[in-house]
Amino acid sequence: MACVIAREVRDGETVAVGTLAAIPACGVLLAHFTHAPRTTVIIINHPDYWPFGGGSKEFYDFAQRGKFDLFFLSGGEIDQHGNLNLITVGDHERPRVRFPGGAGAAMLYYMPRRVVVFRADHSPRVFVERVDTVTSPGATPPDVVRPGGPWKVVTPLCVFRYDRQSAGLVVESLHPGVSREELGRRTGFTPAYDGVTGVTPAPTHAELEILRTRVKDTVARTYPRFATTAFAH
Amino acid sequence: MPVRGHVGSDYERLRPEFRVIPNPWSPSERIMLVPPIAPDVALIHAIAATADGMLLLDHMEDDALLAQASRAVVASTERIVAPEELRRGDGVILQGIHVTALVEAPGGARPTFVRGVSPVDADAIHEYVAAAVDDATFKRYLDRYVYG
Repeated sequence: MACVIAREVRDGETVAVGTLAAIPACGVLLAHFTHAPRTTVIIINHPDYWPFGGGSKEFYDFAQRGKFDLFFLSGGEIDQHGNLNLITVGDHERPRVRFPGGAGAAMLYYMPRRVVVFRADHSPRVFVERVDTVTSPGATPPDVVRPGGPWKVVTPLCVFRYDRQSAGLVVESLHPGVSREELGRRTGFTPAYDGVTGVTPAPTHAELEILRTRVKDTVARTYPRFATTAFAH
Repeated sequence: MPVRGHVGSDYERLRPEFRVIPNPWSPSERIMLVPPIAPDVALIHAIAATADGMLLLDHMEDDALLAQASRAVVASTERIVAPEELRRGDGVILQGIHVTALVEAPGGARPTFVRGVSPVDADAIHEYVAAAVDDATFKRYLDRYVYG
């Protein structure tokens, strides 16, 4: 997933990674250490990659001005229309499941130019037909300022592309070894394909080497537990 | 205050106090207004403080903002220092006018960290998370660490 995310980072852009996003942090750093050396990398609360002096307000104000080219979000539920749910499942007043809450996700899905949605587990419980509560909608009415929005959804099984025309997710590529049958079985909606669905390029030896050394050491500064467990091989 | 985004999400339905209005400076677009959060009391732990309530705070946290939003601010601090020493410290300074009460309480932020002073106690936080799962285990946690 980190390698797939790295490919979405373009050199020279301003790319930000928010809270609880260790995998995007790895992907962005991998890109920065390889093809995107001139990218401005922002990783929340990282001692070397957090340029804001005034706490999170400065970060949110920066984001509201549309200064991020690429940002990352996740969802407790994610649906076929690119809607994200970070609040509750079931009756909102007496929820069956309570997620951490939207925080800035109802703004951060609008203002960065491209938002990559990531989720480290791919199951019908997460990838649902329709989210119960819409924290962050895939599509919005035309009279709302929205310079950016959903771009890709990256999971351990596949990459979805957000199609603005149909306001829905389309499978861009299946990861090596994943069949359409398996993806269908592990997704709560029927995945849409178009003529160009391919196979995700596997990580290269060189990419893995950088991930397991320089990237691992760098993310350990903000995600110490992740760094000690996720790179075991 | 106005916020970008949000319009078109379920926040419009779930949070009636969030208002959607035409943008006064660009009436063809709609924008959301949210009311300010005004806590009765903010509890803040400072890296250092002067005796009259000037605080040295972590520049990566939102404590100064929180203090300015709250009706009353109770600050604790690792140590009381002279004003000239405070100004040399690494962090942001919050003037004493925002602070209602101050107490010297070294270690007062545990198990969370104080930048440049003490690290996060990850084991203690995991213990709290495990204890918070149900009322019985949480009561045992409180008996041990709060009431004990």
